[in-house]
Amino acid sequence: MWLGIDVGGTFTDAVIITGGKLVAVAKTPTTLDLLTGILNALDEVLTKVDAAAIRRVALSTTLVTNTLVEGRNDPVALLLMPGPGLDMTPLSPVTPWLLSGYVDHRGRETAPPRRGEVEIACRQLPADGVVAVAGKFSVRNPLPEATVAGWVRELAAPRHISLGSEMSGGLNFPRRMNSAYFNASVWRAYGRFASVMEEGLHQRKIKADVHILKGDGGTMPLAVAARMPVETIFTGPAASVLGIMALQTPVGDAISLDIGGTTTDIALWRNGLPLLAAAGARIQGFPTAVRSYWLRSVGIGGDSYVRRDGERLLVGPQRRGPAMAVGGEDPTVTDALRVTEAITYGDAAKARRAMAQVALPGQSLRATAEEILTVAIGEICRNIGDMMVEEAAAPVYRVEDIIHPVKFAPASLLGVGGGAPGLAPRVAASLAVACHTPRSAQVANAIGAAVARPTTQVTLRADTVQKCYVVPELGLRRELPNTHMSADAAWELAAKYLQERAGREGIAEAPGAVPWETERVLDEEFNVVRGFRTMGKIMTCRLQVKPGVLTAVNGGEGI
Amino acid sequence: MDGHDAAALGLVFFPAFDWAISPSHPEREERLLYTRDQIVEEGLLDVGGIREYKPQLAKWLDLQRVHIGVPDIATLITDAHRVSAGGAITAAEAVMRREVSRAFALVRPPGHHAMRVVHGTRGFCTVNIEAVMVEYLRRHWGIRRVAIVDTDVHHGDGTQDIFYHDPDTLFISFHQDGRTLYPGSGAVSELGGPAALAATVNLPLPPGTGDQGLHAVLDQLILPMLEDFQPDIVINSAGQDNHYSDPLANMSVTAQGYARLAEKLRADIAVLEGGYSIEDALPYVNVGIILAMAGMDYSRVVEPDIERCPRQGAEQTIYVERLIRQWREIWSNRETMRREARAKAGDFWRRQRRIYYDDSGIDEVQRETVRICPQCHGYMTIDTQAETSFKQTTAFAAILPRESCPACRRAATDAAGAARKSGDYQHVYVQDKDGDSLEEI
Repeated sequence: MWLGIDVGGTFTDAVIITGGKLVAVAKTPTTLDLLTGILNALDEVLTKVDAAAIRRVALSTTLVTNTLVEGRNDPVALLLMPGPGLDMTPLSPVTPWLLSGYVDHRGRETAPPRRGEVEIACRQLPADGVVAVAGKFSVRNPLPEATVAGWVRELAAPRHISLGSEMSGGLNFPRRMNSAYFNASVWRAYGRFASVMEEGLHQRKIKADVHILKGDGGTMPLAVAARMPVETIFTGPAASVLGIMALQTPVGDAISLDIGGTTTDIALWRNGLPLLAAAGARIQGFPTAVRSYWLRSVGIGGDSYVRRDGERLLVGPQRRGPAMAVGGEDPTVTDALRVTEAITYGDAAKARRAMAQVALPGQSLRATAEEILTVAIGEICRNIGDMMVEEAAAPVYRVEDIIHPVKFAPASLLGVGGGAPGLAPRVAASLAVACHTPRSAQVANAIGAAVARPTTQVTLRADTVQKCYVVPELGLRRELPNTHMSADAAWELAAKYLQERAGREGIAEAPGAVPWETERVLDEEFNVVRGFRTMGKIMTCRLQVKPGVLTAVNGGEGI
Repeated sequence: MDGHDAAALGLVFFPAFDWAISPSHPEREERLLYTRDQIVEEGLLDVGGIREYKPQLAKWLDLQRVHIGVPDIATLITDAHRVSAGGAITAAEAVMRREVSRAFALVRPPGHHAMRVVHGTRGFCTVNIEAVMVEYLRRHWGIRRVAIVDTDVHHGDGTQDIFYHDPDTLFISFHQDGRTLYPGSGAVSELGGPAALAATVNLPLPPGTGDQGLHAVLDQLILPMLEDFQPDIVINSAGQDNHYSDPLANMSVTAQGYARLAEKLRADIAVLEGGYSIEDALPYVNVGIILAMAGMDYSRVVEPDIERCPRQGAEQTIYVERLIRQWREIWSNRETMRREARAKAGDFWRRQRRIYYDDSGIDEVQRETVRICPQCHGYMTIDTQAETSFKQTTAFAAILPRESCPACRRAATDAAGAARKSGDYQHVYVQDKDGDSLEEI
């Protein structure tokens, strides 16, 4: 039995899933402190099932976002080893301490960090502070970051230190720096939340594992999230996407729409998985290495305000309140849907009155409704088109990918959210693709959280000429006995470290559990040639536990 | 002009990670690996002022607007060449559409040793990607006056060949003196055909020249020449092998030297050429050029091994000063020299050359004849014989330049017809710039 909780802007939903069926649902208002709402939803759903039968609790929460928006994050001492290159000061969220020490692109330490500089920085650190340390090319050699962190721990004993190389195994120093900064900044607030959450579950006699959803659609145990809280930002869209996956996994390429009251979130899916944002999410405008789905939010939803500017019909992006059909005061898209009978809930007479307010002289109410829907759907379709153009324009670095591009060719459209039954079929029709609007889509996010798989990843980079390999996510650098290493051997080693990391994070495959699927997400192999002689190889292997759902969910009827 | 929305720099980055001339050739998969690492690690692709573009695939017509491939260009090249040339076109289009203020095609394979007639690969080049881009700009964007500044350490002999008779293209190349480096050409005396004399500017520099000498030539010759020429567009053939660590040459230029050059030159479009110090130079030189072209601070882009860079000697400084004086003299007399050259040539200007294709092992003998026409740029014919150890190929080509007069058009077509009839050639081509066509007859 799996329990999923999704904290949305308005409602906190909880669901219980067992045997692929949705067996209980609770919807409670989201509270200012988030936790009260979570526990209320939990209590409501627990009236229907036995707490002892719950095997896992998974939570999607806006805690990190709220902490940042409300300014409850901590000041961070940011220690950088930028080496030669860009001036990092204007790119940093706070004025950084610039330290000596440089690792080049091959992971060679061309200048060591200096303890004296760290001592000076540590004298300025507040007691009980948090620190982030990031160095250029630390993914090629994580040791200098660890050295600096060791000195900081010894000299200033901060509460927490985030390292750039722990945040991501991928290149992009400013993104790792920003990830480490935000991670350290929300660390304390997240820790408080985690301990209260654990206490709340303990009081309710729930002994299940507690997992937190990440932006890339995987989950991680609460204890891991407490070390890497930044990963839990932007989980709302991830929960939605996972919910869609649980309710109706698309085959091949597809488009999904989460149509809410104010906005529609669009995602593109390839081979049953949504596309990720190319390099990572932006937090408060700063690019980070936090993995998240690539979504576009359009200001069109069921409650989008409809009015005229002269003869021109305007739809959204504002929401003034609910549809007139359900007691609101201004015309909305939902009223148009009611008049065209695309939906059957709400008062038809009130919906017609809404149409009358925006009808042109002599225009029938039905024609007015059609015009509104044409504008709304046109806006959604235009954005889908833009995303497809952007997807096709994404740079590739191999001749093969230019000559034989794998074109994005959607065959179906999936719609969830309140506005989906009315709008999604029309969008699908105008794109000439099949349409699915799975049931129980109103609690899709909580379902997504409940059944999301735990994930993790490692990057193994072997440089056989230098006779070493690194796994930055684990902070390790190891020697190789000689310059010979096959690609197969490198992948085997990556698999071993993936197991090790999963074990460390408490998500290793349990006996009897649904087995893992691993996935190669980056595979590079280059011969290193010097003076017309092949000296060895550089191989990069990134392996992840594939995100997905533990089980498909039959939404059933009537819930 | 919507300049406010335009990014400072368009970057067409295409490292062709699946393409090599041969596994251990300098033009191999690994060449831009460390450059990719540095660009991505610096976060340059996230910078608001830099917009990355995916290269397009150049069309056959785009290539044939410049090249006469024997037997045809398609059999001589790989897909990578079309992507590389297409990358240069993508960079140019981004600038012309005003999406970006300037653009850098950081692509491979390079092209500046590829001449008009192509029998194979020489100096790692088969398709002249700058020339393809220039002729594309002329055809599709109405550009007329073009300046190309070739900052590769090797003489850009292919680009020189293609524009040798074109007074609307100012080709300036500084390079390590041809007496000490491939391809051997690029002496001051190579000034261009009579109609385009001194539109070809060769600045051979002595081995060991560093930032100081390079910037002396830039400040005292190249920038004033550009000012005089008033080009519609400035293109930089941005080879990076003048770097002190380059294994194939002997110069002493640094990443700072190259970045400062990019800043002063203010090229509309830069296109990567050579540069084979793939670990110690390219990552830093490319980051320096990108930042300079994007108008960003590049002062911290310094090679970790900068101590290795030798200082330019007094000998080089004296040589460079002499070269500057010599060229100032030529430049100020260029109109007179052009008149005299035309008068001296009479009705036809002729030359015969041997061209060696080091990568393909081909020896070519080429006879070039240019009509000195009072009405137009004058048509040109090329008689070419290419030999490898096991076969000989002969071809004849008649080339009708832009805005050619009816008499030249007729004479060129007649010459091609006569060549066909003579039976002396395996292939006979007519390249018509106004008709935008290349035909084998």
